Amino acid sequence: MARLVVMGGGVSGHTAATFAKKWLGKKHEVVVVTPNSQWNWIPSNIWVGVGQMQKEDVVFPLAPVYEKAGIDYRQAKAVSIHPEGKEGDDTPFITIEYTGQNKEGQTDEITYDYLINATGPKLNFGATPGLGEGSNIGKHTVSVCTADHATHANEELRKVFDRAKAGEKQKIIVGTGHGMCTCQGAAFEYIFNIEHEANKAGVRDNLEIKWISNESFLGDFGIGGLHMKRGGYAASSRLFAESLYSERNIPWIIGAHVSKVEAGKLEYELLDGSTGEETFDFAMLIPPFSGVGLKAIAKDGSDMTDVLFAPNGFLKVDAKYDAGAYENWKASDWPRTYQNPTYKNIFACGIAFAPPHGISKPMSSPNGTPITPTPPRTGMPSGIIGKAVAHSICDLINKGENAKLHEASMAEMGAACVASAGKGLTDGTAAALTVYPVVPDFEKYPGLGRDLDYTFGEIGLAGHWIKHILHHLFIYKAKLNPGWTLIPE
Amino acid sequence: MVQPLVIYPDERVNIACTDVRAFNETLENVLEDMIDTMKEHNLEALSAIQIAYPYNIIVIKNGDSYNEYINPRILTSSGKFNSTEKTLYYPNVEVTVPRYENIKLIYENRKGEAQHEDIKDRKLSATIQRKIDYLFGGNFLDKVDKKTRENILENLAKDNPISATMDSVCPTFSKKDYFVSFTDKLLFFMGISLLMPLFNISKEGLANWFTYDKFAFPAIIFLMIGFFFYAQYEAKKYRQCSSCQIGNNIGVIVKRITVAILFTVASYFILG
Repeated sequence: MARLVVMGGGVSGHTAATFAKKWLGKKHEVVVVTPNSQWNWIPSNIWVGVGQMQKEDVVFPLAPVYEKAGIDYRQAKAVSIHPEGKEGDDTPFITIEYTGQNKEGQTDEITYDYLINATGPKLNFGATPGLGEGSNIGKHTVSVCTADHATHANEELRKVFDRAKAGEKQKIIVGTGHGMCTCQGAAFEYIFNIEHEANKAGVRDNLEIKWISNESFLGDFGIGGLHMKRGGYAASSRLFAESLYSERNIPWIIGAHVSKVEAGKLEYELLDGSTGEETFDFAMLIPPFSGVGLKAIAKDGSDMTDVLFAPNGFLKVDAKYDAGAYENWKASDWPRTYQNPTYKNIFACGIAFAPPHGISKPMSSPNGTPITPTPPRTGMPSGIIGKAVAHSICDLINKGENAKLHEASMAEMGAACVASAGKGLTDGTAAALTVYPVVPDFEKYPGLGRDLDYTFGEIGLAGHWIKHILHHLFIYKAKLNPGWTLIPE
Repeated sequence: MVQPLVIYPDERVNIACTDVRAFNETLENVLEDMIDTMKEHNLEALSAIQIAYPYNIIVIKNGDSYNEYINPRILTSSGKFNSTEKTLYYPNVEVTVPRYENIKLIYENRKGEAQHEDIKDRKLSATIQRKIDYLFGGNFLDKVDKKTRENILENLAKDNPISATMDSVCPTFSKKDYFVSFTDKLLFFMGISLLMPLFNISKEGLANWFTYDKFAFPAIIFLMIGFFFYAQYEAKKYRQCSSCQIGNNIGVIVKRITVAILFTVASYFILG
């Protein structure tokens, strides 16, 4: 009997664990270690952040689902990985610290045959002075990264709306809180949902809504922009984004690294080295991401974190980490199997794997401050990677060590993205975009590095309906309700 | 070497260009070709795609020298004005489009070193914005309404010189909202009519309200049909407005017709 331990129960870890259990059956054991008691459909958090959904609509308790699936669930935080075991015992194990199940604070060791790191990111608020401490958000801004953050964001937003209703001019800033952020898409959705709600509440005239991000052009989204077909050719998402922002009267600051946040004020540095500041009554700034800070410990008890993890704290996988300058970046640098090169029984998926480099063109200010979106790993690629990794491990267990691993390279994977720009059954809007591949392949597709036959982009009400249907569909799937395996990632 | 210019109707101008990644001899050759072509045709500015190189490069003539902007991005912009422009791609076409007076540009030089420049001259600023639009797969006709654009293209085919003005890409108020507003008022009174039996109103009074409902229902259907066709017309006119999407329009129609049907059925049972 083999034991697979999955650290993390987000989109990627949950997909990997549930598929692995389904394929491995009762003969083998699947353990999920996650500090959260609930699963969160993160893409809908922006709707919690504008009060269009409640926290309960986007989360559900994990325990009953794992019980139904026969998965051993530990509500605990993974602390360290011991890939060589300890003195006198070669069995690899991880140490965990419980955060629930009435064992709060207790530590434990779980041995494994195979390990998946799907911990997701640490929300690194501490990277920007004033944005927060470590992974805790500060008191000056809000976030929509977790369901609780989003609930809080909505409470603050309502206060701003109330003051605007009373005739006070209010200023809202939404965007990225650091030069190295990803997830511009979530901020994009949030700003347009706020704008939409402000119109509905009749307070738009008293609100100044402004965008700030680290993108070098509007519509970059951390993937060097998307392209929309026009006639036989494809135009950049910059044209679409600029017309949307202008139409909704949202001015933008781009190429910006938010360097400091205070009560009602933020300072930023631009790509040309100049600095500026903005005041605000309400700001939602996405923090940069880093690894969760797992330690790797060698058999003799010494720290070997740098063997297993990249400097940013994400797990090293089969990617080419020494690609060097932008001109040398290739699609083949991106990982295919997500297997750790040193320890073949350790895999990573979702945000937890270390990408070889960015996707957008790297840029920095004359002062040396890097201001570049880091590569996003959204729900669809995370799910696909999680499933591929689960498949590989099942084959390794069932067919032996030489089984061929399943591959899911982000340079051969398309992504469909439905970005909400306002919620409502009849007056909602969303931008539906597809991009293939996510990571441009400049050798296969000279020029933009993308296959324009799979490129699509449209904004309208139908996009909103799709987004809303996906919300219910994916929560249905994650709850492992009948037919869940038929729903794609 | 002087390269042939990409001129209407050559559609390669719509290609979205890629960032220059390698600062090598190829780049230098592209830049030399651009400058040679500019000298030959006495041009003030040129995007690489205008000589069919799909790279993010623009070159601007500055006195006797040529300023090269590689991978240019507009970092900040301020002060809108209406700029009357011509471009090489559409010969003899002159249009007035909104542009920014001041822009801050970040770019790289031919060695790949990051540079930046504040541009405060509104003519130069507009020229650079027009050239950068080409790099992203756009051109100044994207900034005029569809009718003007079709008119221009029609005249281009006939070889007529054209001049047009367009100061707004997307209207803040759309006439199609009149249809919606009137429909909503009719629906409001239909709703009121259903409450009438609660008050002490004579039989004739109720009959009058029922008659109103009988006329209001088909009126709403006709208004919504009218809305649909007028909205389609506007969608063609302002093609960049997301509020003109057919999905939005159908949503508006379905919602109101559903309410009208419910009210009519309720009215039949309550009043009729």
